[in-house]
Amino acid sequence: MYSWMLRVNTVLTLSVTVLALLCAVASMADNLHWHTPSVELEVVNVGPLERLRNGDDRVTLSLNIKADLESVFTWNTKQLFVFVAAEYWNPEEGFNQISLWDTIIEKKENAKINTQVKSKLLRRSTRIGYFTYPFQGKDLKGRDFNLTMYWNVMPVTGVFTTDKVVVPGFQLPQSYN
Amino acid sequence: MDWEGQRLAELLMQWLLFGSALVAFLTGWFTASYSTMLYIYLGGVVLAFLVSVPDWPFFNRHPFTWLEPMHAEKQSQRLLARQQAAGKKGTKSQAKR
Repeated sequence: MYSWMLRVNTVLTLSVTVLALLCAVASMADNLHWHTPSVELEVVNVGPLERLRNGDDRVTLSLNIKADLESVFTWNTKQLFVFVAAEYWNPEEGFNQISLWDTIIEKKENAKINTQVKSKLLRRSTRIGYFTYPFQGKDLKGRDFNLTMYWNVMPVTGVFTTDKVVVPGFQLPQSYN
Repeated sequence: MDWEGQRLAELLMQWLLFGSALVAFLTGWFTASYSTMLYIYLGGVVLAFLVSVPDWPFFNRHPFTWLEPMHAEKQSQRLLARQQAAGKKGTKSQAKR
């Protein structure tokens, strides 16, 4: 501390250490925050189920998406990435997710979602050379699925978290058009 | 800057930094604004710089008290005197034998 350069060094070092502490405490304080989001997902209309010439299945869904994510926002939230996925499970492949809609919310004022979307649910078959997996691309007929809304919380400092609400009990048409 | 001044500078810096961090956290928490917190803390850091880096007069209130300078000549004379004294003692002790 006997020369001004040493004093500059000391102030800088301690200030950065305290800044790190401050950010750590602020991001830990987020755990005290309790959020109560409300999510309503409805399938308004299911379009005709089509078998495309290349072996893919395709269906058009009209969704009603209603959500109130205002309570998810804290002082340490930079933005939310919200997406709705159709999910189903089959024994050949396990867990499948098809993203239907997504959005980015940057402000708490915009965290109330009320929208109607028309979304294509395309089951693309995987091809390796000329070989097509027999069960792929043919599994949308009469399929039971869930609609799930996920949101990724991106904080200013701290841990990136994901939360979700699952709405089960939807079914696709039993026959192709 | 004297010893007491250095101690005072370090104490002032630590109190300013930790104090501004506490004020910044509480203000940011209650206004729910992360940027407010960072700006208040930045202000505290600038204040700590201004207070503790320059050599302000209040850091120099306890001037050093140096010992009186010792000169080489005087010291050699003292050494000479001591050696002479030791030599006399030595001769005396030999004479006694």
